[in-house]
Amino acid sequence: MKPSNEISRQRRLFHSKRYGIGLLFMLPWLIGFCVFVAVPIGWSIFMSLHKVSVVPGGFKYERFGLKNFKDAFVVDNVFPIELITYFQQMLLMVPIIVIFALLISLMLNQRFPGRFIFRAIFFLPVIFATGQVLSELFAQGAGEIPFLEQYNLQPMVEKYVGLQFATTVMDVLGRVVLILWYSGVQILIFIAGFQTISPSVYEAVRIDGASPWDSFWKITLPASVPFISLNVLYTIIDLFTFPLNPVLQHIRANMFKIDTGYGYASALAWIYFGFVFALIAVVLWLFGRSMKSRGKRS
Amino acid sequence: MNATRVIIRKFGGQAKAIFWSRSVQRIKVFVLGRSVSDGLLAKLILYLLLSIVAYLYVQPILYMISTALKPLSDLLDPTVKWIPRVVTWENFQTAVKGIKYPEALQNTAIIAISCSVVQVLICAMTGYALAKLAVPFKGLITALVILTFLIPPQIIIIPLYVIYSKLSLLNTLFVFLIPAIFGQGLKSALFILIFRQFFKSQPLSLEEAAKLDGASTARLFFGIMLPLARSACLVVFLFSFIWYWNMYYEPSWFLTDNFTPLSIRLDRLEDVLNPSLLGQRNTIDNPATESSKMAAAFLIILPPILVFMFLQRWFVTGIERTGIVE
Repeated sequence: MKPSNEISRQRRLFHSKRYGIGLLFMLPWLIGFCVFVAVPIGWSIFMSLHKVSVVPGGFKYERFGLKNFKDAFVVDNVFPIELITYFQQMLLMVPIIVIFALLISLMLNQRFPGRFIFRAIFFLPVIFATGQVLSELFAQGAGEIPFLEQYNLQPMVEKYVGLQFATTVMDVLGRVVLILWYSGVQILIFIAGFQTISPSVYEAVRIDGASPWDSFWKITLPASVPFISLNVLYTIIDLFTFPLNPVLQHIRANMFKIDTGYGYASALAWIYFGFVFALIAVVLWLFGRSMKSRGKRS
Repeated sequence: MNATRVIIRKFGGQAKAIFWSRSVQRIKVFVLGRSVSDGLLAKLILYLLLSIVAYLYVQPILYMISTALKPLSDLLDPTVKWIPRVVTWENFQTAVKGIKYPEALQNTAIIAISCSVVQVLICAMTGYALAKLAVPFKGLITALVILTFLIPPQIIIIPLYVIYSKLSLLNTLFVFLIPAIFGQGLKSALFILIFRQFFKSQPLSLEEAAKLDGASTARLFFGIMLPLARSACLVVFLFSFIWYWNMYYEPSWFLTDNFTPLSIRLDRLEDVLNPSLLGQRNTIDNPATESSKMAAAFLIILPPILVFMFLQRWFVTGIERTGIVE
C-alpha cells in the first residue's frame, strides 16, 4: 500500500527499459570498442613503458619506466628532427589544402554548363587518393610539377622566406599535386556545406545592393566556419595517418629493430599522437571560440 | 524639312550618345555580368581555372593509361611522350597474370562489399542510438567515438595483430568482417558521426507518431528511420566501399597469405615479375616492369571508377541532401 514506492519502482523499470533499448543498439559498438580499441590502447601504453622483445611463443617484457620516452628525445637523433619538420610542413599544408578546397568548391558551386563533368572529375581523388595506386604513381614521378626546376624557384624562395623555412616551403611546393589529391573529401564537405545556406539570404542581400564580393565575406564565409573547422580537423587527421609520412615510417622502422623494438616504437607513436592531439585541441578551441562569439553577436 | 534638320542637328548627338551608352552597357553586362558568375569574362576565368586543376587531376590517370599501353621500346624512347607508337596489350596480360587478377578481384570485392554492407547497418544503429535513444553516459560515449577516429591505426596495430591471431582470424575475411560487425571497421567513427548528424536532423514528431501507433523501437528504426536515411546510407556505403577497396596498411599486416586484396598484390608485383631482385626495394624505377605496374594499377581502379560513374548522380545529391556536415 505504498503507491509512491510502487510508482518509483515502475519509473525505475521504465528507465532501465529505455536504457536497455539504447544499450541494445549500442551493444555491438561497445563490445567492439572494448575488444578492438580499449584493450589494444592499454596494451600499447603498457608496451611503451617496457622493452619488448620477441621470444618464441610470445613477448618478453622488461620494465623500463619512462626511459623509452626519454630516449626518443635524448638518444634518438632522427625522431625529434623529423617530428619538427613534419609539423612545420603540416602547419603549412593544412591551410593550403583547406583554402584550395574552399576556392574550388566555390567555383564548382556556381551554375555553368558542364558543371557535372567538372564535378565528376573533382570527385576522382576521393576514389583513389587513399590508395596504393597513388603512391605507386608518385613513386614513378607522374604528377610532378616541373616548374620548380624550370624556373629555378629555390633561390627566390630562400630570399623571401629565409633560409630556415625555405626547405619546408620547397618541400611543400614540390608536393603541390599531392596537396591537390588530398583535398577531395574537403571539396565534397564544402559543396555539401554550401547547400545548407539558403539562397533567399543571397537574394535579400543582393536586393539590398551588396556586391558578390560583399556577400562572400559577409554570408558565405561566416556560414561556412563550421565546415572550415571540420575540414581543418579532417585534413590534420588525414595527413597524420598519411602513408608516406616520414614520422610513421621512422616508427615502423623502429618496430623491427632489435635494439629498440615494439616498446620504443609504441612510445614514439604515443609522443606523435600527443603532439597531434594538442594541435587538434588548439584548433577545436579556436573554432569553438570564434563560433561562440559569432553566436553572441547575432 | 528645315525643322527636321534643326531637330537632328540639335538632338542627334544626344541620341547617338544614348545609343552608344546603351550598347556599351549591354556589352558590359554580357562580359561582366550582373552577378559574379553571369558574365562571359567570369565564365572564361572560371573555365580556365577549373580546367587547369582538372588537368592536374586527370593527368596521372592519362599517364597511367598511356604508360600501360606502351611497349618497352617506346617507354625508353624519350621522343615518345604521351601517345605510344605501337599500342600493346601485353602489359595488361602480364599484369593480369602477375597479380592473379580474377582471384584478387574476387577477394577484394568480397571484403569491400560485405564489410561495407555490415558497416552501413551497424553504424546506422549506433548513430541512431547516439542521436535519439536514451543511453547512459552518452556524452562520454560520443567522445570515445571521436577518440577512435583520432587514434592512428599504427599505434594499436601490434596488439590488434596479437588479438586477431589469438582469435585465429588472420588471413581470412573475418579479420575485417568481425571488427566491422562490432562497429570498429575502417573509419567507422566517421560514419557513426554522419548517421548521428542525419538522425538528429529528423523531426521528433515522426518518432512520436510511430510510438503512439504502437511501434517498437526496433520497428521504428528498421521500418521508418533506416529507409529515410537512404541517401546517408548510400554515401556511407560508397565511402566505405572505396576505402575498403583501397586499404593497404591493414591488409599488409593481417592478410599475408593467399587471401590478399589487389593493393597488396600491386605492391608485390615487382617481386613477382622479377624474382631475382627479391628484397631490393630500391628498384622501383625499373623500366621493364613500369608498364605492367601501371596496367595493374589501372585494372585496380577500374571497378571503383565504374561503380562511381554509375552511382555518381545519387552520390552527389545524396551528400548534398543528407546535410552530413551540419
